Amino acid sequence: MWAYVVRRLWQMIPTLLGVVLLVFVLFNLFGGDPAYVLAGKISNPEQIDNIRRQLGVDQPYWVQLGIFLKQIVTADFGASWSTNEPVSHILATRLGPSLTLLVPLLIIETLVAVGLALAVAYVRGSLTDRAVMVVCTVGLSISILVYIIVFQYVFAYKLGWFPVQGWGDSFWTNLVRYASLPILIGLVVSIAPNLRLFRTFVLDEINQDYVRTARAKGVSENRIMWVHVLRNASIPIITHVMAALPGLLIGAFLLERFFSIPGIGREVILAVERSDFPVIKALTVYVAVATMVVNLLADLMYKAVDPRVQLE
Amino acid sequence: MPRAGCIALPRRGSSAGAFRRLAVPWARGERRRGAAARVAAGTLAAIVACLVFTLVHAATPPKVIRDVFPVAESGFDPPAANDLYSAGVVHAIFDTLYTYDYLARPAKLVPGVAAALPEVADEGRVYTIRLAPGVYFQADPVFGNAKRELTAEDVVYSYKRVLDPKLRSPWSFLVDGKFVGMDEVVEAAKKTGKFDYARKVPGLEAVDRYTVRLRLTATDYNLPYILAHDALALVAREVIEKYGESDGRTMSHPVGTGPFRLGEWIRSNKIVLERNPDYRDVVWNFAPGAPGDEKLVAQMRGKRVPAVDRVEIYVQEEDQTRWLAFQQGELDFLNMEGPLAPNAIGPDGTLKPELAARGIRLDRFVEAEIRYVYWNWLDPRIGGTGKAQIALRRALAMSYDAAAEARVILNGQAVETAYPIPPGVVGHVPGWKSTLTYDPALANQLLDRFGYKRGADGWRTWPDGSPLVITYASRPDTLGRQLEELTKKGYDAIGVRMASQRDRFPELLKLEKQCKLASREAAWIADYPDGDNFMQLFYGPNARQSNTGCTAIPEYDALYRQTTRMPAGPERDRLFMKMARLLEYYAPHRLTVGRYRNQLVQSRIEGYRRHPILPSTWQYVDVAPAGK
Repeated sequence: MWAYVVRRLWQMIPTLLGVVLLVFVLFNLFGGDPAYVLAGKISNPEQIDNIRRQLGVDQPYWVQLGIFLKQIVTADFGASWSTNEPVSHILATRLGPSLTLLVPLLIIETLVAVGLALAVAYVRGSLTDRAVMVVCTVGLSISILVYIIVFQYVFAYKLGWFPVQGWGDSFWTNLVRYASLPILIGLVVSIAPNLRLFRTFVLDEINQDYVRTARAKGVSENRIMWVHVLRNASIPIITHVMAALPGLLIGAFLLERFFSIPGIGREVILAVERSDFPVIKALTVYVAVATMVVNLLADLMYKAVDPRVQLE
Repeated sequence: MPRAGCIALPRRGSSAGAFRRLAVPWARGERRRGAAARVAAGTLAAIVACLVFTLVHAATPPKVIRDVFPVAESGFDPPAANDLYSAGVVHAIFDTLYTYDYLARPAKLVPGVAAALPEVADEGRVYTIRLAPGVYFQADPVFGNAKRELTAEDVVYSYKRVLDPKLRSPWSFLVDGKFVGMDEVVEAAKKTGKFDYARKVPGLEAVDRYTVRLRLTATDYNLPYILAHDALALVAREVIEKYGESDGRTMSHPVGTGPFRLGEWIRSNKIVLERNPDYRDVVWNFAPGAPGDEKLVAQMRGKRVPAVDRVEIYVQEEDQTRWLAFQQGELDFLNMEGPLAPNAIGPDGTLKPELAARGIRLDRFVEAEIRYVYWNWLDPRIGGTGKAQIALRRALAMSYDAAAEARVILNGQAVETAYPIPPGVVGHVPGWKSTLTYDPALANQLLDRFGYKRGADGWRTWPDGSPLVITYASRPDTLGRQLEELTKKGYDAIGVRMASQRDRFPELLKLEKQCKLASREAAWIADYPDGDNFMQLFYGPNARQSNTGCTAIPEYDALYRQTTRMPAGPERDRLFMKMARLLEYYAPHRLTVGRYRNQLVQSRIEGYRRHPILPSTWQYVDVAPAGK
């Protein structure tokens, strides 16, 4: 297994280089020259040159690319061009709020979706199954923006059950008071597609011979569903959940923005609006690395869940 | 140390002790008993007073006001903060030599930490400024946790810093080339990479502890306005040297002499300002500046500044969130911009009755800004002083329906602009009638007369017969698209084909600074409330800087140079009017609209009046007592 892990880690290097090259080319092609924005209302060409020199964007492209690679190796992306805040500090301070919102959301959404998927798959073809599928389809068809606007208006403003926006410095206050409504919206939005997807995974297993055999042996339905079926359906479910993990690093753009949550998602939008290349670079690289590491972990988990899986 | 407000007991050497030593021997025992009783009674009274004071203060919650920024702050170093919202925080933490009277309209300059308005000599080339003594930087570890007095050397240091190339201040243009001897220091810094702050500069002289003398390279009667700009707020060298970041900026550790200090700060999310305990004694004492100010003055006069203990500022980019949070009472102030405005403001510009019934107030005025569509003066086909080009630009200007921009695109939250100096700015001419108004029929006649003939397809051609196409640049956002559509509608009406150039703001800015954009709607917000700040926009030598259309009209430039040597007054105003007519004649641009600022304020806030120039005024407001 270790040989497999080492081989996969080696394979990450060319992938990461591809990501770096892509980000670099895209930013230099479409990112715009930040010097003109940073220069302020009145600036002369000399001042613009001074800013470009200080930011290093006057260097030849290959030098800039070399600096980018060095930053990745040293994990030091410098400071934000617009606020001067060290990029490492941005990542360290914005990750907490994003995780406060997204970790509970991911856990609850997965548990609820798996539970419901097992339930509706068990009564497949029934009125309940059909009704749930219709509701899911309708729910899927509505944009998250609509959910945010309506829920914020109804539950926060009209009913006053939650604050309209805000964030504090206590983890529990943030989780219970400020993150509740965004988590609720996240659940409403994500359960429908997950439920449909997980239901198909479960249905694939329910029709297998081993289920019929278990029933013939007199195993209880609960045990069949929660132990036999769920264990076999868990590989695609793990794939799906693991694929969602790197998303935690990016945050939930809209939820964070509408509910004033100082997370990574909001920072990404700000960085793009400000052409803040150091922040964009760092976030892209971290997300790419996280995606590759999570994919590796997912593969290792397959082996743990199903010993028949061979790591080659 | 006793808490403020507690009664201090007599100590050794006090008058009570002296009295005891002078008492005659036969009466000493009785008097001693009496004195002891008095001391006991005094002690008891002091303890009771302290208890009452403590209880009262413990029971009084701090006065907190809550504001919102629609855009994230960048940081709080005065010369480096490059957005309006950071400037608001800078204004609350730092002081400038001069500031503006809170209520006077148009904006009126008053001393900030200066003792008085400057002594001006040598036809506006020498300014002598005396600082008020007893102005302190807030206590900070860099001062040994004590407060430190502001001196003339701090002023000199702060002003030099704005010009330090390493700092790349976006506000360096305010003082660039102004102070005698500074250009040499800046040039040397560019070569060596190190700014020599110790070098004596004749233009920036600390005469003594409380006196600064500024010697200018040329006459400038607007200097006091510039000294009131927040980029020139006063900082302490020790703070910058201790907390300065790699590029010399100190964005995250502001230490100033202003009414507030930075408390909690969650970047891009929440900024908390706390009352600065080391702030000097300032009493709210402004005269009414406009009808309706009397009540506000009666509420606030005599109060200590700042009246509130804490300002909480939230960063919230989404319109709906800001609006709901304000309605729910989570915010005390809200600026109702563009799409938000119809929620609260009726077509007649007044507050909707349901909001008024809740005691919410509306503070509304036209911003000190101009917006204008320009045509590139350096473009050989549409720029310059040729008659055919002038006719074309005038026709294009007359095809633009600025009233529709105000009414439709900006939801009625703007007014059509006629004069290049907006209301609230010295030099504005109310009721000015521009000769360039929306008149497509006249525009068509003008084009016909100057040889811009219509082809068989209905589109006009250049006088040489080639297709007439004018490129208009805009941002690829909603406002950009709407402005583009309105411009195209006008061009279509006069048979001129319009080509679109959509690009992101940094790219447009870059092309504009290189005089490579054919046409675009630009905007300018006042840096200081003087007409010069607007008339310089069309001065030829300012091309590639603030002169976005790269306009260069020799007569205009000559008149502008004259105005820079004149103090504000009727004589300068006459020249400004002449210049405005020249701009109408040559039509390098078309003035479009000035936007309203609609500030909503909750009923519990007292003393609020939005200032046209000051970026924040939290220090001048109070919270009404509960139940009022």
